Amino acid sequence: MIRVGIPQALLYYQYFPMWKAFFGTLGAEVVVSAPTNKTILNLGVSRAVADTCLPVKIFLGHVISLIQKCDCIFVPAVTSLGKKTYNCSKIIGLPNMTRALIPECPIIFDPEINLEKGRYYLYQNIYKLGRNFTSNPFKIKEAVEDAWKSNLAYQNKMSDKGITPLEAIDRACQGKQQSTFDSNPAPLLTVAVIGHPYVIYDDYLNHRMISRLQAMGAKILLPEMVPRSALDAAARRLVGEPHWSFEIDIIGAGEYYLENKVDGLINLSVFGCGPDSMMVSFVEHRAKELKIPFLHLSLDEHTSEGGLVTRLEAFLDMIKRRQRIWV
Amino acid sequence: MGVGIPHFGNVYIPVKAMAQRLGATDTDLIIPPSMTQKTLDLGVKYSPTEACLPYKLTLGSLIETCELGADILIQARGTGICRLGYYAKGQEQMLLDLGYNARFLTIDVSHHKFKSILQLIKDMTNNAPWPKIIAAFFFGISKLVALDKIERVVQKVRPVEWEKGMASRIYREAIKAIDEAAECKTVKRVSKEYIDKLNKVPKNDKAELIKVGIVGEIYVVIEPFANMDIEVELGKLGVEVERTMTLSRWVEYSLFLNYLGINEWRKVHKLARPYVDHDVGGDGWESVGEKVLYSRKGYDGVIHLAPFTCMPEIVAQNIMPSTREDIPVLAVICDEQLGKQGMLTRLEAFVDLLSFRRRRRNGARV
Repeated sequence: MIRVGIPQALLYYQYFPMWKAFFGTLGAEVVVSAPTNKTILNLGVSRAVADTCLPVKIFLGHVISLIQKCDCIFVPAVTSLGKKTYNCSKIIGLPNMTRALIPECPIIFDPEINLEKGRYYLYQNIYKLGRNFTSNPFKIKEAVEDAWKSNLAYQNKMSDKGITPLEAIDRACQGKQQSTFDSNPAPLLTVAVIGHPYVIYDDYLNHRMISRLQAMGAKILLPEMVPRSALDAAARRLVGEPHWSFEIDIIGAGEYYLENKVDGLINLSVFGCGPDSMMVSFVEHRAKELKIPFLHLSLDEHTSEGGLVTRLEAFLDMIKRRQRIWV
Repeated sequence: MGVGIPHFGNVYIPVKAMAQRLGATDTDLIIPPSMTQKTLDLGVKYSPTEACLPYKLTLGSLIETCELGADILIQARGTGICRLGYYAKGQEQMLLDLGYNARFLTIDVSHHKFKSILQLIKDMTNNAPWPKIIAAFFFGISKLVALDKIERVVQKVRPVEWEKGMASRIYREAIKAIDEAAECKTVKRVSKEYIDKLNKVPKNDKAELIKVGIVGEIYVVIEPFANMDIEVELGKLGVEVERTMTLSRWVEYSLFLNYLGINEWRKVHKLARPYVDHDVGGDGWESVGEKVLYSRKGYDGVIHLAPFTCMPEIVAQNIMPSTREDIPVLAVICDEQLGKQGMLTRLEAFVDLLSFRRRRRNGARV
């Protein structure tokens, strides 16, 4: 049985159920790296050039931690998810960077997902990937169908039930049912948090920010809880035709929540994130227009937990004072 | 009505030539003042903190043209992978907030480049006849080509001239003369004149030249203000510089030859293929390929220029050290924090390293 390693970083949070179903149906064992911890972070930071953004460094750390545990590693190059939209260069060049920076790495499977080149190119690449596991084309087709089904189920679960990807992954893959997310009895205020899934849901990277906010008495809204169509429409209203696939979720969610009058908006981004640096300024501008408090937090490997907590507390206090919840 | 463009290398010269040919007066086209610390300060002040240097510089430059009275601004647009696609959008919003009532016209630099440029000219000249537009366009391009031709000679003369600074002085004169030329014929004559002049500059022929290739992101590679005149400084250190990325080359291929299926980067992409096998946006793929290319050509070193947080160049920077070709690469990250003295020290150290390597390869004991 081939063991396929999947690093628990970057696109893991968006597509893991899909990948798991695909490799599972093809009869491979999926090995997921442990949640980010200090060792993983340090391993990654030691390899990459200093300017590289933190999620990519963490990704490299996850790959290194998987080296002894699997026979091959799955690192897709997700170039484009629609006509005239692309992803960040670092995600496109991820397999190449991984190969260059971690020469001791096992075989990397790097199908290029590029919908700009049409569906046929996509099918071809997935078929090529499947051929590594089986010679039966029908089996590959079955795996693709399974994968797509679980992906749809996963996306729906997040937008309908309003749960976070991590919980959805738990439910989809391990069958856990209890939710910790809505356990907060009577939240005083609603705060929307926007940002890349790999920043919001990596608890080590963001110092458990979501649970901290909940503990401070806020109801949290996340980009994954907005239906797809509303996201697209909101993003289009804000910037016209968007060019970056993953930014649609962020600015779309930002615009959507601002229009629905949340009490505050927090953008969680990482230092050096190119797409965020441009797009979030539009959301910030919009928040200023609508007079909704906006907090931009930029994280890197040096962010101290204490400083972050102080800023969050101050932000929530400011919102409370604005609403005269306590004077 | 005044049309303003951001400052980018010598691009204002062909634009000015085109405008004059199409009968524009001085108030119709506003030439951006050359970049100074003030431009940078303005750009930095009004840009998102983590935006890249080209964004900040072009914003600063556009604010300056707005102050001179421009109300139509030209900026690049694209559906590219890098931030360039959103330059116009972000800058338009910022200028509106600052109270300039400027309208943006954009040139699509990822698809239909030729058509979008000509259409832009046509819209601005109130439907001038096509032959006139095309004639003006080619006149502008002839100036661009002449300038880049002279620059190539300057790059060769700079390191070997006896009197330091002579080539740069002649180059400045040449830019002025070409800017003033009113006919295609004059442009040709002037360009030949200055190339002759440069070739006659007294040279030190015995010097053993160190050759360095410059690669990286197009704006910081071409705009001397963004890279702190790195070519002049290398010339003073006695280093011959080559860069493949020039504006005339971009025009030649992107506007004409690419449509015929000729890709100027085919060879470079092929060389980069073992390390990067598809486009990563911006000039990242080309940077990796050019490193290999300069190594094959027997150059001594490569200088990699990138704006701070430039995504494609970070990919390139991560991949470059692991290529099989053994050639030293100096990465110079350009942003508003780049200090000239610090950069000079690094350049000197790099050039020393290159000459040590050269001597060791020639069998000398170091």
